[in-house]
Formats: sequence, structure tokens, C-alpha cells
Amino acid sequence: MIPSDHFVRFYNEIFKYLDAHGGLEDYFQAISEQQEFHCLQAFREQGLQGVYDYYVKIRREENCGLEMILEDGCLQLIMTRCPSLSKAMDNDAGVCPRYCEHCPGWVLPVYSKAGLFIIYDVMEHDQPHCHSWILDQLGSAQAKLQEVHQARPGAKLLTNF
Amino acid sequence: MLRYRETGEMHKDFHGGTSLALDFVADRYGEQALSEILHNVGTKVYASIHEKLKRDDPSELVEHLAYFYNREGADFDLKVSGQEIILTLRECPAIAHIRKLGLPLSKHFCRSTTDLNDALCDGTPWATETRILAEGQCVQRFYRKEK
Repeated sequence: MIPSDHFVRFYNEIFKYLDAHGGLEDYFQAISEQQEFHCLQAFREQGLQGVYDYYVKIRREENCGLEMILEDGCLQLIMTRCPSLSKAMDNDAGVCPRYCEHCPGWVLPVYSKAGLFIIYDVMEHDQPHCHSWILDQLGSAQAKLQEVHQARPGAKLLTNF
Repeated sequence: MLRYRETGEMHKDFHGGTSLALDFVADRYGEQALSEILHNVGTKVYASIHEKLKRDDPSELVEHLAYFYNREGADFDLKVSGQEIILTLRECPAIAHIRKLGLPLSKHFCRSTTDLNDALCDGTPWATETRILAEGQCVQRFYRKEK
């Protein structure tokens, strides 16, 4: 058995293999489809509150440093200590350089299916932090994207809209 | 001493992720790819356990088995003697959690034990064998090779 505590380091080895042989994006899609089982219904039916509640569980179970701000139709997820990348880095096998890509790789499609809009700043791939804004209205998301672009010139922002 | 010794809460849903990963790799890249990845996990991620076994020191392996099967709430016995280590697992916590969630269980799931154990022992004075008794039940044996 791979302990659930060590899944991330196994995952990291899968990423390395797929990065070398092709198919990493297809795997992210497969992860996304499995994650639908865990959260799509709540995201669809409860919107931002469903996302908030899901990440309360994740913050507790995965021991994240995660600040969440839900106000005015926008949920900010401010990851100050990502447990996933932290473990992948605290690892005798070394981290896959594309490790962080799995997160937007699965969340963007799920948010799209839930009718939510995300702006994702993965930030540095060798630091366990990132910042995302999830919104429930397209117009608000477009306005937020402009605001974030101005506040963070040069940031490589990922969106699903 | 354990190289990795997590504390606090656990996210057991990751066992479902392991099941998906095993199927994804085996279906697309074949069984050999799965072996290669699990060999890397056993020898590189768990380099500390593997290197100690190379020096004929199973102490971290024993500590690892005891700590993580306990932490996952497994129903198991661990018997350790000078020549062998026997882990008798009556209910695999990973399989139990996947079944509880209702997620598909990969037919390759137990390779995350058997291939991993093989990798830990590869090139060391130790060998391993696993007898699968039923779903979620197995006996994992590690033993010193005869000289």
C-alpha cells in the first residue's frame, strides 16, 4: 500500500514518466474526471459556497496553509503552504518540474462544468504557494482578470473563460 | 528513523487517486511502465529504506510498515524476527476506503504493494513475497536471502 500521506510522491513519479513519454495533459483530464466525483455536484448546486466547503475539508485533511476569502461573488484561495508541492519537494526522488500543472489541469475543467469562472496564478513552480479567484458571473470574472493583470503585471494567469 | 513521518490529518481520498493512476498508466503504457514507475518509487522515493536494506538493515522498513499501517487504521499484525518480517493484513485500509467511496478499484491495485516491496528489496540481501488471500487481505513477507 502506498500510504495516503505518500500518494503525492507517487503522483510525482507518474508525472515524470508521462512528461517523458507524452500524455501528461490526458492524465490531468482523467484526474479532473475523477475529481468530479468528489466535488462537481456541490460546486454546481451550491456554487462558491460549495467550493468553500470543499476546500475547508481539503485544508484540514491535507494540512494546507490556505486562506479563503468569500465576498461579493468571489472566492479567493490563497495557498500559503501547498502540502502537495511541499511533499513533492521534500522527496529523495526530486520534484517533477511540471508538478504544479496538475492543479489547474484538473480544476479548470471542473469549474467550467460547474458554471464557475477561475483566474489562477500558479506563481513560482518551486515555491509552495499560489492564488486563485473563483467567481460565479462571467462579467465579474472578466473585470477581476483586468484588475489582477494590473496588480500583477507579468503574472501568467490561467483562466477557463 | 523514518525519512518521511507525516502527522496530523490524512486525506484518504488519495487512495482513489492511486487506483486511477495505476489504471491510467497500465491501460495506456502497459504493465512494464507501471513496473518502472513503482520501481522508481521503491528505490528513489524510498531511497532511505532501500539504501538501509542494501546495508542489511531493515530497521526503517519495519518502522515504516508499523507507522503507516497504524496511521491508516489498518487491521494488521507485524511480526519481526532476525530473519524475516511478516505483515498480515486483514483489511487493507486503502481498498476499504475506495470501496467506501464507491470508486472503481484498479485490478492492478495490489501492485502498489507487490512491485513496491520488490523494488525496496532489489539489489539488497532481502527478498519479499506477498500472498493475496482475498480482496484487502494479504500476507507480506520480507526475508533475508540465503547466502
